[in-house]
Amino acid sequence: MILVASTASALIRVVWSSILASVVVSILFAGAVVGLIRASELRRASRGPAAAACTAAATVALLICLAAVVYGLILVGQKS
Amino acid sequence: MSVDVILVIVVVTALAFDFTNGFHDTANVVATSISTRAIGPRRAIAIASALNFVGAFISLKVADTVARGFVETHAVTSTVVYAGLLGAISWNLMTWYVGLPSSSSHALIGGLVGSAIAAKGWSAASGSGILDKLVIPAVVAPLVAFTAAWLAVVCVYRIVRSVRPGGVSRGFKLGQVVSGGLLALSHGTNDAQKTMGLITLALVASGKLSASNFHVPLWVVISAATAISLGTFTGGWRIIKTLGTKIISMDPAQGFVAQTAGAAVILAASRGGYPLSTTHVITGGIAGAGAGKRLSAVRWGVAGEIVTAWVLTLPCAAGVAAVVYAVVHLFGNGDAGPIFMSVVLVIALIAVYVKARGTRAHGPTPHAEASQA
Repeated sequence: MILVASTASALIRVVWSSILASVVVSILFAGAVVGLIRASELRRASRGPAAAACTAAATVALLICLAAVVYGLILVGQKS
Repeated sequence: MSVDVILVIVVVTALAFDFTNGFHDTANVVATSISTRAIGPRRAIAIASALNFVGAFISLKVADTVARGFVETHAVTSTVVYAGLLGAISWNLMTWYVGLPSSSSHALIGGLVGSAIAAKGWSAASGSGILDKLVIPAVVAPLVAFTAAWLAVVCVYRIVRSVRPGGVSRGFKLGQVVSGGLLALSHGTNDAQKTMGLITLALVASGKLSASNFHVPLWVVISAATAISLGTFTGGWRIIKTLGTKIISMDPAQGFVAQTAGAAVILAASRGGYPLSTTHVITGGIAGAGAGKRLSAVRWGVAGEIVTAWVLTLPCAAGVAAVVYAVVHLFGNGDAGPIFMSVVLVIALIAVYVKARGTRAHGPTPHAEASQA
């Protein structure tokens, strides 16, 4: 019974973690793309500070995205 | 001495199986990136090949499951592993020839279970292991990939709808270089380990490794990684020709999401030690990304094919492996049986290849049918 519960919980962990990872990474990346496009539009409109803010937000989103991927790979590589 | 000959045959056959796995799955791994023109075919295949190799080193949990999760280790001999492997290859060959869908991963495990049962009876198979680690994940994983991709695509489209499409497309094409790489890495992580598990099981069965101190030797990891990587590289050059015409109508955002969802599911499953059909997972991701844009875009016939593969592959591969074991056993416990069956297999392979070459054209990849968004 304990074994069944442990197996079920392991599978449930796979389900929610993969859905969460896919959605979060995709949203962050989409946010970064939008941020960079907005930044280039703002630069063309000579709105430097706003463009810089958008670039910074996009960079942060990309870095979080990258960190999530690296963290996921570390988790997969762990022995237990 | 006779055990060593069988062991060598098992290792060579397992690595050949691994090579064909990479060869066959190249299309699944790189098709999305190539079809959206995120990356050129040659570069995509080279990157996928390298990352398949790297991925094989990340985790060994799937190998452990394959070696110890489905059959009782004490019931396994080198001949059992050999018959299981040959059963899986024969089943794949038959299904390929008659055009039935199949899963190499399920065939491999079905073959192992079938030959173990033929050798030692029903007690040799671990029913709970098969159900918990193979059957349920096989059903759940493609559905999870579908759901994840569908949810993610809906969110992504909402986020990017207010900006110009050209910029979005360029951004996601760049993202696909990374997501495609991640998918190749995850493929190597899950698929190469199945072969590692099987070879390790054969080493334990032949007494080369202690069952109490179970571990996957480094040479097994390196050789399995090399075989799947070379298979990916070789298979890629063949599909370049067909990809140009049988391309998937996906935009880069869908491609990115499908690859990310596929990679996430395969990596999470690898962490849990679940050997999945990576083809089914990737197809689920593609279909989900298509459904997120337009539900009618999904070719539901592909889902039917996957269900057919779920139902047929495991018992049929087990049955074929049991027959192979019975035939090998007729020759006694020496090398004669495996050598005879290997010769028969090679002849069958050549015959099928020659016949198929003249009569059949290669069909579209599962990707190509999964979505026409």
